[in-house]
Amino acid sequence: MRYSGLLLIPLAWGHVLIQDVLVGVDRIDLNYVAMRWAFWGWRIYDLFLLVFALAHGINGLRQVVLDFVSKKLIRLINQASFMYWLVMVLIGIAALVGGVRKP
Amino acid sequence: MSVKAMTNLVTYRGGVGQLSFILHRVTGLGILLFLVIHVVDTSTVFFFPSLYADAIAIYRSVPFMIGEIFLVFSVIYHGVNGARIAIFDLFLVNKWEGRTPHNSVLWTLVISILLWLPAAFIMSRNVFEKLGL
Repeated sequence: MRYSGLLLIPLAWGHVLIQDVLVGVDRIDLNYVAMRWAFWGWRIYDLFLLVFALAHGINGLRQVVLDFVSKKLIRLINQASFMYWLVMVLIGIAALVGGVRKP
Repeated sequence: MSVKAMTNLVTYRGGVGQLSFILHRVTGLGILLFLVIHVVDTSTVFFFPSLYADAIAIYRSVPFMIGEIFLVFSVIYHGVNGARIAIFDLFLVNKWEGRTPHNSVLWTLVISILLWLPAAFIMSRNVFEKLGL
């Protein structure tokens, strides 16, 4: 958690600063995403953010859940957490690699 | 569940440490909830490009723009508080007891609010613009 958290401070704060504060949701559309992802550096940035933010968040959720359930369920919750992370990361990677498809 | 049991549930050890513990969990879970939705909505640019505009239209509504301002606070607070915990665990292990952690909880809130205010100002200006105020 410590290391992913340390990495997420620049990654997540940078993402929030650029997209939410400086650009703003009113200027984000398909063309904007296509323009951003035209540069491979941003795709790699987004890949790191995707993998580490989901790992950090789902691991945190797992720890909260483990605080409230019996020991018998630990294995099941661990496996379910990993599967949840894997599915979300795969959805994200498909979009990152496939890129924007113009309708 | 009795009233006492319910109070015990929210006052595990009490004090400002408990406050930062609850804020850390609530902001973390809130961010994760948005993160999962956000990965799905962004992935429509590849899977269902014609739906992306509809997803963004939801975020452009006033209630979501206000929620976005609180989301930004959550991300800032969770990061500052996480850094505080890491600093204590790595460098100030012998200072976990006493006044220092108590003061640091307040400092964390002050730093987070100071970092958040400029962002909140810019983002709320967009909300007022949308409302025509």
